Amino acid sequence: MDDILFLILRRLRAPLITLIVVYAISVGGLALIPGVDPQGNVRPLSIFHAFYVMSYTATTIGFGELPYPFTDPQRLWVTFSIYLSVIGWAYTLGSVIALGNDATFRAIRARSLFSWRVRGISEPFYVLCGYGQSGAHLGRALDRLGNRTVIVEPNVERAARAAIQDYSTPPPTLAADARLADVLEDSGIHSPRCLGLIALAGEDSVNQAIAIGAHVLNPSLQIVVRAKSDVARINLESFGGVQVINPFDTFAFNLRVSLRAPAILQVEEWLTATPGSACPAAQVVPRGRWVLVGFGRFGRAIAAMLDREGIEWRAFDPRSFEDSEKRLLHGDYTEGVLRDAGVQDADVLVAGADVDAVNLGATTLARRVNPDIFVVIRQNQMQDRALIEAAHADLKFVQSDIMVNECLQALKTPMLGRFIAQLREAEGEVASKVLDRVSNEVGAGAPAAWEFVCDVLQPGMFGAFFQRGGEPFRIVHLSADPTNPPERLRVSALMLERNGVAQLLPDADTALKPGDRILFVGDETAQRLQRRYLSEPGTIAWVTTGREPPRALVFRWWRQWSRAA
Amino acid sequence: MNLEKVIFGFFIIFACTLNFGFFIGDLERVELHHPMELFAAVVVNLVATVLKFGDRTQLGATHLATSLVASFQLVAASLVWVWQIYVIGHPMNGEMISIVVSLSGGALLANVFSVVLLMGETLRQGR
Repeated sequence: MDDILFLILRRLRAPLITLIVVYAISVGGLALIPGVDPQGNVRPLSIFHAFYVMSYTATTIGFGELPYPFTDPQRLWVTFSIYLSVIGWAYTLGSVIALGNDATFRAIRARSLFSWRVRGISEPFYVLCGYGQSGAHLGRALDRLGNRTVIVEPNVERAARAAIQDYSTPPPTLAADARLADVLEDSGIHSPRCLGLIALAGEDSVNQAIAIGAHVLNPSLQIVVRAKSDVARINLESFGGVQVINPFDTFAFNLRVSLRAPAILQVEEWLTATPGSACPAAQVVPRGRWVLVGFGRFGRAIAAMLDREGIEWRAFDPRSFEDSEKRLLHGDYTEGVLRDAGVQDADVLVAGADVDAVNLGATTLARRVNPDIFVVIRQNQMQDRALIEAAHADLKFVQSDIMVNECLQALKTPMLGRFIAQLREAEGEVASKVLDRVSNEVGAGAPAAWEFVCDVLQPGMFGAFFQRGGEPFRIVHLSADPTNPPERLRVSALMLERNGVAQLLPDADTALKPGDRILFVGDETAQRLQRRYLSEPGTIAWVTTGREPPRALVFRWWRQWSRAA
Repeated sequence: MNLEKVIFGFFIIFACTLNFGFFIGDLERVELHHPMELFAAVVVNLVATVLKFGDRTQLGATHLATSLVASFQLVAASLVWVWQIYVIGHPMNGEMISIVVSLSGGALLANVFSVVLLMGETLRQGR
């Protein structure tokens, strides 16, 4: 706000001085020229009257000649003053209007408005740097989940898009470079309500600079960054405190997981899907021979994964030349080259070029010679979604979808992310057990996930651990309906974390200790009801013994006395 | 020589001297205090105030503050004058002129501070 005031004052200095001088000359002159009153006495106008006359003359209101008719020399002077003051006003108003259109002024005004709006956000919010396809997707996903976002995007047109998209609360948006520390500060990363920062700019170097800047300014902030190259990922990971997501590696990793144990990917997709959606079918990806169309970052990530799995592959790309890589053919996307790559007896086709038309073309050509081929297709542009859908590929890679999923997972329930990481390490059978347990205890719809912390500072937990005479407090108690204890809540405990050690699928009879964290999945009603165990003292006692313990001191004495008697 | 400094210094000192010129003279004698001089002092003070707009330094802010004080005091003095002649309708008398002159005396003090700041700034820069 300071900037804007000083800019106005500085820019209007010359016009204001002009106006003062114009008034001084006109008023002073008018007060010096002799006038005549009705009695014929020679009397000049007083300064007050001269100022009054000039005020209405200069603003072209014109009340006439006051306090009595002017003499000719006075009229001559007023005529001169009219032209002088019109010039003065025209100059001043022109400067004010020019200031309103001035690019610097508008930038400063937009900036002041932005930081003012950010400071006004009273709910928790995320800072989103970069508003491309993934950014727009994530922004709206966060909005639907009830979170506020603050958007910083250097491209003016992209930043303006946020204002016309369907947000329940329009996010404050600034067209600026988030690498600058003052931009980051204005976007609210120091605010206690700022939950995290997500950097989704187009270039890795930009994301890297944003992440490092934000981490230095606020080390406790949760930061999630997209990095498409290994160099950037390694740099950021060695820096620490920053979560790095590489969409290509993530997809390649998911493919690898589904090659090994399809159930793991099934669990992952189900738990991170929108609550209520059906359990996805296990996707069995054939091993066999793979043909990769396009050998950019995506193709390379898939090829590296296939090498690790020991799967045979051929790739072709018209732009890549690598003599050392014999499996890479140099050729354009024609049927002849596809045949050279051996598509007729391949099992999987990965259409991963960065042009959607090429991917669709390659899919059609490959299916013509090999109708049963398993197709993995990459979608590059949002507007090609319908075309890619129409191709009915077996698997689809959409960078923005991967980014949204991974970011939400990292931001909303970090414990779910840790659970999935543990699951990937574990055997495939564990994943099948998870599926069984969740579908038995919760149902077929995709569950919501949340974390239950045994925080003894909460009244309910204090009561559960310390006011029940040493009775063990077990996971199964948290599954009872606090309004009607014989009923079970539709929840399922998936992981128990104690002192940094995680246990998958803990037993329902496990006794809890203060500070334990439990990952629950279930429906949202159950989540709301379960929160009563935290906030209301005595809920646990009521659930386990069927009696509400007395809260007031007098009644506790009464209870003890009546027991003793 | 910097023309901006000349203009800046000119207006600040001119504001002070005009103010002094109006203020000097017996407090209660109307004929020693000419309205034209008060008018000139108001105008020059306003110009000096506007000249100080937009300087973000600490010194600049203090400069602006002194000029704002001086302008307010002088405008108040003029309003007292206008009140006596056009609202009450009596010619200027000793009692009222003493209010006007003492208000302008306050403005003079602020203007002197302004000049002191100007001199301090000049001496500190030493060039």
